[in-house]
Amino acid sequence: MVVLDTVGGRVKRGVRLLTTPPRPGAQITGMLLCIPGMMLLWLPSLWAAALGIELIGTAFWWWARAAPDPGREIPRWAWLRRPAGALWLAAALHTVVPGLSHQLAMFRQSLELWRHVDAIAVMWAGLELLAALPLARPYSDLPGPLLGIRPWLPALLPAAGFAVLWRQSPHWTQVAVVRNIAEVLLVLTAVLAALRAFGRRRWTASLRWLVVSDCAMAVLLVDLAKVLPGVVLMLWLAAFGGHSFLLAGELRGAAPRRGVVLSLLWRMSTFVTSAALTWPALVSMFPASTERLSALGFPAVGIATMLTAWINVGRIVEAPERRTLMRADPAVTFSHLGALLGLVIAPVALLGALVTGFHPSPLAGLASILPALAGGGLALWSRGRARAEARARVQAALEAAHDGHGTRPAAAYGRGGHRAEPPVRDEGSAQPTHAGLALRQFARVTFNVVVTLERTVVSLIARFANAVTSPLRDLNSGDAQDYLLFLVGLSVLVLVLPLLR
Amino acid sequence: MSLSAIVTPVVGSFGTALVPTAVALAVALLLFLLERRQDPQAATVAPFAALPPLAGVVVAPARATFVLVPLVVGLAVAMMARNRRDLLHSECGLKLLWVLGPALALSWAGMELLTLSTGTSVFAEQWAVLQLGLEPRFLWSTALPLSLLTGVVLLGAAPFHFWMADLFHGARAWLAPLTAAAFQVMGAMWLARRLTGIEAIASAVAFIAGAATLLGQRRPERRVGTLASLHGGLMLAALAAAHGREDFVDASRAMMGPWATHLALAYTGASILARFLPVAPGLAAPGATLFRRHPITALVGALPLLSLAGVPGTPGALVWLDTASTLAATGHPGVLAALAVAWLAAFATAIQQLREGFGIPAQGQPPERPTPWAARGALWLAALGLAAMGAAWLGRGFAG
Repeated sequence: MVVLDTVGGRVKRGVRLLTTPPRPGAQITGMLLCIPGMMLLWLPSLWAAALGIELIGTAFWWWARAAPDPGREIPRWAWLRRPAGALWLAAALHTVVPGLSHQLAMFRQSLELWRHVDAIAVMWAGLELLAALPLARPYSDLPGPLLGIRPWLPALLPAAGFAVLWRQSPHWTQVAVVRNIAEVLLVLTAVLAALRAFGRRRWTASLRWLVVSDCAMAVLLVDLAKVLPGVVLMLWLAAFGGHSFLLAGELRGAAPRRGVVLSLLWRMSTFVTSAALTWPALVSMFPASTERLSALGFPAVGIATMLTAWINVGRIVEAPERRTLMRADPAVTFSHLGALLGLVIAPVALLGALVTGFHPSPLAGLASILPALAGGGLALWSRGRARAEARARVQAALEAAHDGHGTRPAAAYGRGGHRAEPPVRDEGSAQPTHAGLALRQFARVTFNVVVTLERTVVSLIARFANAVTSPLRDLNSGDAQDYLLFLVGLSVLVLVLPLLR
Repeated sequence: MSLSAIVTPVVGSFGTALVPTAVALAVALLLFLLERRQDPQAATVAPFAALPPLAGVVVAPARATFVLVPLVVGLAVAMMARNRRDLLHSECGLKLLWVLGPALALSWAGMELLTLSTGTSVFAEQWAVLQLGLEPRFLWSTALPLSLLTGVVLLGAAPFHFWMADLFHGARAWLAPLTAAAFQVMGAMWLARRLTGIEAIASAVAFIAGAATLLGQRRPERRVGTLASLHGGLMLAALAAAHGREDFVDASRAMMGPWATHLALAYTGASILARFLPVAPGLAAPGATLFRRHPITALVGALPLLSLAGVPGTPGALVWLDTASTLAATGHPGVLAALAVAWLAAFATAIQQLREGFGIPAQGQPPERPTPWAARGALWLAALGLAAMGAAWLGRGFAG
């Protein structure tokens, strides 16, 4: 009887399993949408890219609806449908206008309009994901919707933007107007992202903005078309990969910053990869006497480069060891490999660029390396100054302790390496910038002013559109009064009478 | 006999007008039976008798003569108004009567005036007379658009789109889809018979106004109705693209076949789904019962809605893309741009509708009352029919 009961129970459970199969949780469902979405972006087809962005948008929505505060998270990521829509439009355009191939050397004059629409749509999709349009620029300020990897998740979006703009570059780089507009927007984005990364106290937020800056710089290289797309991809992989690895590492106990060697290695790696990424762009934008726009672009990209280098060298500090019993880690970890990989890929990519026809003049080459060197040098100088100040503070504290005033002894400052440095808090919390409050304040204010201005303009346009279309909405609520619209329709018909045959 | 030998002709049959319309009719019957089971006193078999004539119009658009139009309109209005206790249904009937009655009367007056001014009731002869520069110009230039009014109103394209949303909102789910499809087919035929094409501006207005209206709609049924009005705009655009062609009548009839059958099946599925969707629930409201208890059915059942919106991969996308290709080929960039705007609005609305349906995960157990099996079966039937239609179109090449 017991056996029968057991068998019966199993059968019942089996039937229940068949009729109501287990549903995957939000985390897995989102992953199942997001990973194929990211993969589709690397295919040449525009339909695949559109589907990829749609899947990523759906994954973010799926995570947002399962978040603890869906009322806030769902609207925050709703904008992801816009880039998807733009790509769907571009893909559909290529289907309905067959002559719109960008491989053709000569375009029919009648296709010029659709060529522009196609280029704008692709550029819009990529730039919005890159935080280069005023509509959703500050998304990197906030963590993503999925609880487990919240701080890391927004880093996916600029990567998706780069993938779209890099893979679909023939669609937008061959239209001069679109290309020029993209160049201006990308330079502005790189500067704003670097300023924001510099101004933020939270290290994870700072890293997210560095990722945005990396992607903007990489797309700028695509736009300038001075180096081969393969070289751009390698440079982007090195710079973006380094910062996103660091960001992921912050969620795993700040693993890439554990120990003197690792933190030094990552400091070097991120400095080299970021400098390698921006160097070809700076060389390409080196001002000739007659080029006014390029003359503005060079200092702007130079500032972004300098700030990025400053952050890379100045803010990657050794994470304090809190464990009383040290775990025996292997001599070479993934963190070591990641940093070394960046150090290898970036120079190889630059070498590749030089071999495949990128020959800068010595003056331009030297001038273009200066911003990165200046940023790194300033960071080292400010670190040294901060260390000296900290040492003086420790000394003062020790003297006070001797005098019996009871200040906490400086032995509490960390374990191992930098005994004289002030304490740092764990992942995602404040990290020393060693840049001075005034500079960081300036960076913060500049970013906020630009974003507020942009938002005001966008909000005005949205309100105007809302006001224009609200009568139409009111007349379509289903009330009997709506039938007034019938009269309006008749009037419209009377007005267009001469146009009908 | 291999499986493909059986499946191929079955799927192929969905490329004809008859089989998809029969599926729509079967779905309507299923819903009718469900309604009868829920309220045996209110429902009789008689109302269902109204559906075969409507399906007949969808299957054979060419037979929708001027005489047939008032009869079919009268039949639909009578079916809606027959039960005075059913307020929403009878109100919908009255609204239709209010719009279509004057439209028919004005068109009739316009046709008579045109006959009076040209001296003949044959369309081809009327055009020949008008080309001579007939005086008084005022008489025939008023009479001509009046004679077209019924066609434009029946097509449901903006600015005459409002009755369409009311039909899907107010009429029964088994009656509204076929009524809407039949009316639109009759409208298209009305225009095609009288004209050799219309100016593209009309379809551009229909797309822009329809898109703006669609984005403002909050009720699922009204969204379906406004999507239907955009399909009226698609037919107007197709007629505009075929403007001045020698074989205009034959070409327009060829376009109408797949367009009409897609409408019948897509309206059927979408109007059922709309009944199970929440009304403007806000972004963070729990999902609809159907989506919580039967998510796979909900996803499959969303195919008709997505198809109406022209989401890529659905049969509706072929209709949208084919119209757009025709517009591009015949040099109508303005209308094509308006169509693109409407398509994006439709696409966004369909995705928004699905997201509202899924809502946020509800705390606790799912609701106890399941969605009736007949409704779920109807959703599956409509969606599978539509999928088979898409496969058939892809198999033999879409000939819209």
